[in-house]
Amino acid sequence: METARHILTSYEAALDTLRKDVLMMSSLSARSLDHARKGLFERDEDWCNTVIADDEEIDALEIQVDTQGMDIMLRFHPLASDLRNVIAAMKTSVNLERAADQSVGIARRTKKLLALPQLSETARIEPLFNLANGMYLDSVRAYADGDIELARSLKSRDRDLDESNRRLADALTELMPQNPDLIRGYLELIFIARCLERIGDLAKNIAEDTIYAVSVTDVRHTPQAA
Amino acid sequence: MKTPTTSRSDFISIRDFCFFYGSKQALFDISMEIPERQVTAFIGPSGCGKSTLLRNLNRMNDLVDGIRHTGDIVINGNSIYDPHIEVISLRKRVGMVFQKSNPFPKSIYENVVYPLRVAGQNKKAVLDETVERSLKGAALWNEVKDRLHDSALGLSGGQMQRLCIARAIANRPEILLMDEPCSALDPIATVKVEELIQELKREFTIVIVTHNMQQATRCSDLTAFFYLGKLIEFDETHKIFSNPSNKQTEDYITGRFG
Repeated sequence: METARHILTSYEAALDTLRKDVLMMSSLSARSLDHARKGLFERDEDWCNTVIADDEEIDALEIQVDTQGMDIMLRFHPLASDLRNVIAAMKTSVNLERAADQSVGIARRTKKLLALPQLSETARIEPLFNLANGMYLDSVRAYADGDIELARSLKSRDRDLDESNRRLADALTELMPQNPDLIRGYLELIFIARCLERIGDLAKNIAEDTIYAVSVTDVRHTPQAA
Repeated sequence: MKTPTTSRSDFISIRDFCFFYGSKQALFDISMEIPERQVTAFIGPSGCGKSTLLRNLNRMNDLVDGIRHTGDIVINGNSIYDPHIEVISLRKRVGMVFQKSNPFPKSIYENVVYPLRVAGQNKKAVLDETVERSLKGAALWNEVKDRLHDSALGLSGGQMQRLCIARAIANRPEILLMDEPCSALDPIATVKVEELIQELKREFTIVIVTHNMQQATRCSDLTAFFYLGKLIEFDETHKIFSNPSNKQTEDYITGRFG
């Protein structure tokens, strides 16, 4: 539903600021995931340290979004689409912050990997990275554009990511008895894959909240495609 | 417009109702079904016709010169415009509470029993019972039971409004109309009246006009949005305020109007 601008300009400005801060969080969180990827595949500890350092800014933005959302509810008593958008913004910011935490998790695990001899199996995690990164970017795009068709595609993709994660964990577990010296490295890769799987879950959450904000349909915990 | 999904039966049926102040048309083809013992809120910008429609439900507008209407309003199966219906008896069935409390310059007791005395009832036992029942019904009894014969004009604004509600329910009406009943009250008095409305709906069908959207969300089961004399949307309150079907409703309740 197209909406005109609000009569109360301070209300309109507060809603705009809230939305912009969520989009800013999404950009920073996407950048952290990209840096984590570079750290892992380029074996560059500096990128890992950047991800860890940047997390502070994302944490601060999460608090800022919560404060702004509360303030809007307190001052303007939003209703209908405004209320849904404020709630969606606050819930999305939580998911974005957690996604950034997963990037930090990847960066920390990568730093441990870098202290070990290079593992050829690291390349096997790249498809998962691509899946998780694509899901994350699409969830944010769906939120920004209110694109519920794109948002609905996330649920089945999350199942694919879960399956890929399970297969990778099984494969690495099978390799462990054959290469006991590499077990520590394999475990780090399993943990990294687990972080990517969580990013897929969080992207799905963002998509579900977007669907609710736009179409007032609650698709959480439903078997059909989100 | 059909009654939104509700377990209650339709009680007030407004059918193709148009209303005119002289040559000016104030209401256009209003059709809606208001269910029994629910709270129905009328919302909309000033001049949208919500109070005009409310005042038609007990024919208060008959007191205005030059008015006319087409269509019909049926309460519990009977047209309120049936020539055999006396307006006085209609108003006994359809009580009204106004924006500004209007107690008479009499005692609390006499304010409550006034409608009974007008109807010729002077038996003390009946009047005493009515005063206690009505004041309890209006959640005012505990505050005034020891000073029933003091002047009503000594009450606070919130107490006066609840006294007017007590007076309105003294005759056991079927319907209670409320025209912005809390607009002159402080937040605490407003909450008391809103709490009272929830109690009263067990016995009465309530129609409330309010400019306060939060009040409509808190108090009412159903909400009707009016604009320029037309009924734009009528649905469950939760639906209207969370996901209205009509863009004009959405724009109004989110403050994007005009």
